[in-house]
Amino acid sequence: MPEQPIRLRGLLRSRFGQWNLALFLGAVTLLSATGLLATSGWFISAAALAGLATVAAYGFDYFRPAAIIRFFAIVRTAGRYAERLASHNAALALLKDLRTRLFARVAGQRRLTPAARSAIAMHRLVADIDLLDFFPLRFVAPWFWASTLSLLVLGWLALLDSSLAVAALPGLLLAWMVVPLLGGRLAARLARRDAELAEQRREFLLDRLQLLTSLLLWQRWNDQQAAFLQQDDQWLQQRLRQQKLVSLTALGQQCGLALALLAVLWQGHALLQAGELGVPWLLAALLSVMGLVEALLPLAASFISLGFSQAARDRLNQLTAAETDPASTATALPAQPLSLALSGLSARVPGALNGPEDVSVKLQQGDVLLIEGPSGGGKSTLLQVLAGEPLAFTGERLLNGQGFERWDLRELIGYLPQQLDIFDMTLAQNLRLADLEATDEALWQVLEDVALADWVRSRKHGLKTTLGEFGAKVSGGQARRIALARLLLTKRPLLLLDEPFAGLDVETRERVLASLLRRREQGIIVIVSHQQVTVPEARHLRIG
Amino acid sequence: MSRLLAPQSSLLNLALLFALAAAGLFVWQCWLLAQLFSGWLVAWQQGGLGDAQAQLLSALLPWLALCLIGRPLLQYGREQASQLASLRARSELRRTLLQRLAALGPARAQLGADAELGSRLLEQVEALDGYISRYRVQRQLVLLVPVLLVICTAVFSPLAAVLLLLTAPLVPVFMILLGKAAASASQRQFIALARMSGRFSDLLRGSWTLRHLGALPAAEAEVETAAEHYRAGTMRVLRMAFLSGAVLELFASLAIALVALYLGLGLLGILPWAKGEIPVPYLGALFILLLAPEFYAPLRQLGTDYHAKAEAEGAMTELLPLLNQQVWEHPGREPLALNAAPGIYCQQLAIEGRLAPLDLRLQPAERVVLQGASGSGKSSLLEALLGFVPWQGELLVNGQSLLELSRPDWLRHVGYLAQQVPILHGSIADNLRLAAPNASDAELIAVLEQVALWPLIRQLPKGLETELGERGLGLSGGQLSRLALARLLLRDTPIWLLDEPTAHLDADTAELIHALLARLSQGRTLLLVSHDLQGLGWADRVVTLGQPSLSEEGADA
Repeated sequence: MPEQPIRLRGLLRSRFGQWNLALFLGAVTLLSATGLLATSGWFISAAALAGLATVAAYGFDYFRPAAIIRFFAIVRTAGRYAERLASHNAALALLKDLRTRLFARVAGQRRLTPAARSAIAMHRLVADIDLLDFFPLRFVAPWFWASTLSLLVLGWLALLDSSLAVAALPGLLLAWMVVPLLGGRLAARLARRDAELAEQRREFLLDRLQLLTSLLLWQRWNDQQAAFLQQDDQWLQQRLRQQKLVSLTALGQQCGLALALLAVLWQGHALLQAGELGVPWLLAALLSVMGLVEALLPLAASFISLGFSQAARDRLNQLTAAETDPASTATALPAQPLSLALSGLSARVPGALNGPEDVSVKLQQGDVLLIEGPSGGGKSTLLQVLAGEPLAFTGERLLNGQGFERWDLRELIGYLPQQLDIFDMTLAQNLRLADLEATDEALWQVLEDVALADWVRSRKHGLKTTLGEFGAKVSGGQARRIALARLLLTKRPLLLLDEPFAGLDVETRERVLASLLRRREQGIIVIVSHQQVTVPEARHLRIG
Repeated sequence: MSRLLAPQSSLLNLALLFALAAAGLFVWQCWLLAQLFSGWLVAWQQGGLGDAQAQLLSALLPWLALCLIGRPLLQYGREQASQLASLRARSELRRTLLQRLAALGPARAQLGADAELGSRLLEQVEALDGYISRYRVQRQLVLLVPVLLVICTAVFSPLAAVLLLLTAPLVPVFMILLGKAAASASQRQFIALARMSGRFSDLLRGSWTLRHLGALPAAEAEVETAAEHYRAGTMRVLRMAFLSGAVLELFASLAIALVALYLGLGLLGILPWAKGEIPVPYLGALFILLLAPEFYAPLRQLGTDYHAKAEAEGAMTELLPLLNQQVWEHPGREPLALNAAPGIYCQQLAIEGRLAPLDLRLQPAERVVLQGASGSGKSSLLEALLGFVPWQGELLVNGQSLLELSRPDWLRHVGYLAQQVPILHGSIADNLRLAAPNASDAELIAVLEQVALWPLIRQLPKGLETELGERGLGLSGGQLSRLALARLLLRDTPIWLLDEPTAHLDADTAELIHALLARLSQGRTLLLVSHDLQGLGWADRVVTLGQPSLSEEGADA
């Protein structure tokens, strides 16, 4: 499916209603906080005027201002609570959407490179997804709130007297737009550089750590440690620069606000003198400008957050932009009996020193091919080509006389690669990945086939035994057999098995081999193995 | 933590001082504003503003400007000081941790895999930042600033001060509530997040297999369910966690509202208990009203920063095992120079809990294979020979106790190789030169010839400069082992200690490497730990370690 790359703007769109609610609630909260102060200031000033003017101040309507003050106090409290819930709800929903979407996209690729599969890369991927919610939470929302509040306060000043708004405008613009935008470019650049440096130093450290003993031996540890600390220091300094920029921006903003406050006072004095404005109203105006601090200061860090989001977006897009599965359009299924023919086939994994050269072989249904040869000779590479993995090769690769592209291979090939995946689930769940509807009997049957049934019976939880992350709770040989059992459950006719017997003792190996041979008539079996195995009427191929 | 921050205390105190000065400026600013408005109000009352008010304004305005600018400046100073303190503390901590790791040497494996240790060093140390640069000073401000404000309020209106103070006892209560809620919320959220992320990356890592099995749609549904589960769970937690913040907000609002109403009604002279009187005149009333919002501000800030504390506490628990680890220092200082392969004698050599007393005499240039069950202490013996763990009994090199020899001198003569071939991101030449920085290309080629790798590398377009990927990507296991041997040869040490260098290889390749070893280790004192004797017939002797008297459960440490 043609998936669009992630766009930051698109992040808001996916949960538009929820974000709007959060933004609205936040604006109301900030407005109430400012309103509370302004009204209180007006109230006591007006009360003072009334009280001093007439000995009996009973004519002064204090119910309404008192009610407004209480109203603002309650709205501010409730609004803050509701806003935090609403924005977190929206952010979490967004993260959920992103995880689902990104999973579908990354998983849709042909194959993750070993580098992309490493724990570090996974960690980064997960962390990057989390960084994306900085954009709505720490960039869009602060700007929305700051702008709304600034406009409202300006409008309210203009309502009192347009000259007040004019006086406040320069300082306000400085605090609201000019200073944050000035720092913005640099901030976004710093944030992007941040990830780069962090990545470099992490790689440097992990490399050196795994060599620690050797480096100590070679008397190289001290200079390598110093080199790391220098990189670390560079990164820390860069972080400090970011923080400094944020602090400086905040400082500039507050200077702008100070300017606006002083100008309001100055202009207010003139208005008072002219009798065009009362003291209570001037105080209310002053307090509302003061109240803007709370809305404006979050802008200082907004561009740093934007930079982090952008960098995360770019990394994620880069990761998912890698060639996606061209979703083979072929629908034709090869009819049995199968025949498989390679002629003059050569291939090489990018970066590898060796690979199969000029391989020719013809196989018919019922054949078992044993591929032998020294390690590093390219046996696994050959198997990958046979499995239809996207690997450049020269020569011919035919199935039933036609190129692989002609066929829908999905239900045909069962490939057990050297690097296999056992998931952090129960044994049954792991097996049922191959066939959701498989009965317990079917599971026991394949376990019997790979000589694991006795072991599973001895476990307390039987089929519900958990296997741990990366299959950490089972041995390497058991993991291979579980993966093999899972593959057998798919009942694919063309089985390509890379080292299915690694880590097995002779007796177990023979049992597994026997159950494989029982299936030989149902298709073709290709086995790469270091172990000497005897198969009647087997074909042999030596690589490397 | 306090030990860590002690060297930075002056910076942190400076930050606190700045923050307190800023609070002082705030009080002054409120006082100036109150004076100004009070003057205006009185004048307004008496029929209009005159020259006196203009003078007042011009007299006060510069000071006001000073306050308005000075306060953010002090704030800036506070941030700079505390961030610098945090930077220094983190940098120092990383240095300490690295030194700990270096002192532990191979024994660091007990504390975790290298990748995990690395991420502790990077991330957990980083997690202390918020605590040092924000929380620590804020924690003190939360007590000091409200006290200052209450005192100022009390000068003009004891009752208003009482109003503020009435809510004040709730402050510690809410600090605790806030802390508890935030801590447990963040912890639960953290566990849930880790679980969900784990599921996500587990499935993603295996996406090839899932697709091959036709199980991708099921996996996608699983990811969605896990994410939704996490969302719903987190929202449940947050609903409670935010409540404490909301209550704090309520008090902050109420404090302002109550004070404003009390002052306003007082100014009108209609307070039920003081009819016709003005308890607090306008000047004081306005001053108090301006101060009131700041009374709760530090606490609200602390609430925001609280997660920094929880984070730092979590990080410290992760780091403490490494920081508190008892590190044994090799005491030797005697210089050592060897011209030929030495004899190494172990007499009743024992390592507590890991190796039972052992007598082993390696004659000069003798080549010995060491066998033994898992847990019998083979690797521990090598660690002792490298000088990383303390031992009982005697360990003599050419009759001289290893304990007396300087470790760097000794290690200069030792070649060591473990299961995992250590490879850096970099070229083949870079990786070889790690061991011998001054080796020429000709020397590199010579050792590669000896391990029969050169014919292969010569064919590569970039030759010696070919970049090796992560963990030697592009080379097979056997080729990597050859590279490791080449590196051993480059240093040409008279002693080789090899810890199962072929354990990860298939039998054929292991045999080839063993044959290479036979040729290359001639004339060296060799101790080779191996569980497989295939192809090791050339060894002078095979020694089998008995069961340890104090064996520990688990793998060979």
